[in-house]
Amino acid sequence: MSWVLARIDDRLIHGQVIVAWGLRMNPRRIWIVDDAAAADPWERELLSSAAPDIDVRVVTVAEAAAHWREEAAAEGGAFLLVRGLGPARALVEAGAAVQRFNVGGIHYAPGRDKVHDYVYLDAADRDAARELLARGVELEVQDVPASRAIPLTALDNSLTRS
Amino acid sequence: MTRVPALLVTHADLAEALVRAAARVYGAVDDVEVLSNEGRSKESLEEEIAQRVERWPNGGIVLIDFWGGSCFTCGVSAARGREVVVLTGVNLPVLLDYLHNRDRFGVLELAERLQGKGQDSFRLRRSPAA
Repeated sequence: MSWVLARIDDRLIHGQVIVAWGLRMNPRRIWIVDDAAAADPWERELLSSAAPDIDVRVVTVAEAAAHWREEAAAEGGAFLLVRGLGPARALVEAGAAVQRFNVGGIHYAPGRDKVHDYVYLDAADRDAARELLARGVELEVQDVPASRAIPLTALDNSLTRS
Repeated sequence: MTRVPALLVTHADLAEALVRAAARVYGAVDDVEVLSNEGRSKESLEEEIAQRVERWPNGGIVLIDFWGGSCFTCGVSAARGREVVVLTGVNLPVLLDYLHNRDRFGVLELAERLQGKGQDSFRLRRSPAA
């Protein structure tokens, strides 16, 4: 059981995660992998309080990578949330064997251009995506379970050119 | 008593629709701000809420649709260090009670009253036995 969803979403824990994915998959634990949030006790408490009935762990990339295999063998389902493609790549490079990332929200910021309604990428995002793809990690764009999953490469063909 | 200001932050256009619905029952609604999280990153939503609440000299109430969503986490972050409270589960009875009482209570007192109003607003009306 354990890892049932690894998601890239700049909102980290929020409604789509708790309601749409959460009520369907009933995770026992949610690992929020974010160096900045993990370093801030106030932020850790806020993120944990967002899902009071679930064991929410706010950890660094290094901590998540170190606990990856142990969690993979644990009982009950677990979600993993990262803020962006950069941290997703860092997590995989640090040794977490993620096979597929669900891309649930990378919103507009200056320098980013639109590839989908809720996915905007800049050059650094694309570099990270290419690196993940080269390592065999699948990137699937899907906000909620009821909508269709689309490979990120089908929305941005620059990712498959080298 | 000075008026306690309020900002509604919700998914889609629920906040705007709630204010429109309240106006049908209450009459013209002024001084209630609305905001949607649609298409916004965490940073952008938090920044937008912060800009609104920092205009409140004596604090106020941020009314959110549900606990745990991005409106909630961003609302709590934006309220940090201010006399601003976050109340989740806003519905029409809560908004109407706010409009009727916003000039009569302080921020926390009003927020606690509204929490009670929201809880009382859910009632199952069973049909009487035939």
